[in-house]
Amino acid sequence: MTRTARLLLFAVAVLVLAPAGVVVAMNMPAFGSHELPYGDAVNSTIPAARHISNMVSAVNFDVRGLDTLGEEFMLVCAVTGTVVLLRGERGEKLTSHPAQMRGRLNAPRSDALVLTGRLMGPMVLLFGLYVVLHATVTPGGGFQGGVVISSGLLLLYLCEDYQTWRWFMRAGWLDACEGGGALIFVLAGAAPLCFGAHFLQNIMPLGKFRDMLSGGLMQIVNAAVACAVLGGFALVFLEFLEETREPRGDP
Amino acid sequence: MTALLPWLVAAWLLGIGLYGIVTSSNYIHLIGCLNVVQSATYVILLCVGYRWNAGPPIFDPQPPGTPAVDPVVQALVLTDIVIGATVSALLLALAVQLHKRKGTLDPEALRPMR
Amino acid sequence: MTVLLALLLFLTAATGAGIVFSRDPRRQVLAIAGNGLALTLLFTALQAPDVAFSELAVGTAALPLLFLVALASVRTDRKSDL
Repeated sequence: MTRTARLLLFAVAVLVLAPAGVVVAMNMPAFGSHELPYGDAVNSTIPAARHISNMVSAVNFDVRGLDTLGEEFMLVCAVTGTVVLLRGERGEKLTSHPAQMRGRLNAPRSDALVLTGRLMGPMVLLFGLYVVLHATVTPGGGFQGGVVISSGLLLLYLCEDYQTWRWFMRAGWLDACEGGGALIFVLAGAAPLCFGAHFLQNIMPLGKFRDMLSGGLMQIVNAAVACAVLGGFALVFLEFLEETREPRGDP
Repeated sequence: MTALLPWLVAAWLLGIGLYGIVTSSNYIHLIGCLNVVQSATYVILLCVGYRWNAGPPIFDPQPPGTPAVDPVVQALVLTDIVIGATVSALLLALAVQLHKRKGTLDPEALRPMR
Repeated sequence: MTVLLALLLFLTAATGAGIVFSRDPRRQVLAIAGNGLALTLLFTALQAPDVAFSELAVGTAALPLLFLVALASVRTDRKSDL
C-alpha cells in the first residue's frame, strides 16, 4: 500500500490503542509491590533441591528446560537460514582480497590496534569461558558466555589480518560446534528416559552448594547451549564478513 | 503518576518503533526499529518481575532466603535477547540478498509485481 | 519510584527514539549501540545481572557489527556502470 495509506492506518491504530494503553497501564499491579508467586516458589525451593545459587540458570536449564530447548532450536534455524542465504549465493571458496570501492583506500591496520587486540582478545576469550563454567554459582551461563566468547573472536578479527583469522575460523568446526551443541542438549534430555525418569529430569549427582560443578544435568545442558550459541554467532559473523570480500571471479 | 512510568515507557518504545517501521525508507533502518519494538517487551517483562528493596536472584554471598526479584521473567528475557540478535542477522542477510538482486533497499521502490 | 530508575527509564525512551529518528543507517548503528548501553544500565538497576550481561555483549558488540558489515557489503555491491 502507498505510504500515505500506511500512515493513515497507523494514525487510526494509535488513536484507538493509545487510550486503551493508558487504561491498561492504570490497571496494572503496582510497580514493585505486588505478589510474585512463581518467583518466590523458585527462590525458596531450588537452592535446597538442586544445590545451586543462580536461580536464573536453574529456571533456564532445569525448571523450564523445555522452553530453552525450543529457543535453542530457534537459534539453530535462524543461523541456518542466514548461512544458507549467504553461503549458497557465494559458494564455499575462500576469497582473499577485500572488496575495492572506487575512490576509497583500504587502510592498513595500525599497530596500536593490533597490540590491543592481541592483549585483550585472549583475555576476553578466557573471561567468556569463566562465565560459561560458573553458570550455577555467579551470574552467567551458556547464553551470556557464548556471546562473550564470540565477541572475543570478533576482536581477533579486528587485530589480525584476514588470512590468519580465516585460518582458524574454520566453517567446518563452527558448524559442528553449533549443531553438536543442539544435539547434545537433546541427548542430555533423552538420557534420563533410559533410566525410567522424565525427559530432562535431573538424575545426576547434584554436587555441593556454591561449587563450580554443582547442579547435575544442568552442567551438560549449559555447556551444550554455550557451544551452540558460540558456534551460531561465530558462523553468522564469518558469513557476513565474507560478504565484504571481493566477489568470485577475481584472478 | 510516576508509578505508571515503566508501562508508559514500554508503550512509548512499542509505538515509536512501529512508527519507524511504517515510515522507514531503508530496509536496514527498518530492522533497527524492529529491535526497538523488541526492547519494549524486555522492559515490560523485567518491570513486572521487580520488587522494592530486593536483590538479584543469585544467592552467592547472601544466603538463600534473602528477598530477591523474580528469576522466571529474567530467564525469559535473557534467551530472548540472544535469539533476537540472531533473527536480526537473518533479516539483514535477506536485506543484503535483496540489494544484490534489485540494487535498492527502498521499500517504496520495491513494490510487489502486479 | 526512585530517581535512578526514573532517569534510566527516560534514558531508554530517549535512545529508543534516537534509533528511529536516525534515518541514515550508518548513524543508526551508533544509536543502536547507545540504546544497548542504556538498556544494560536499566537492567542492572532492575536487579537483573544475567540479563544485563547478555544485553551488553549483544547490543553493543554483536548487533552493531552485524549492521555495519551488512552496510559495508551493500555499499561494495553497488551495480556500477549500468
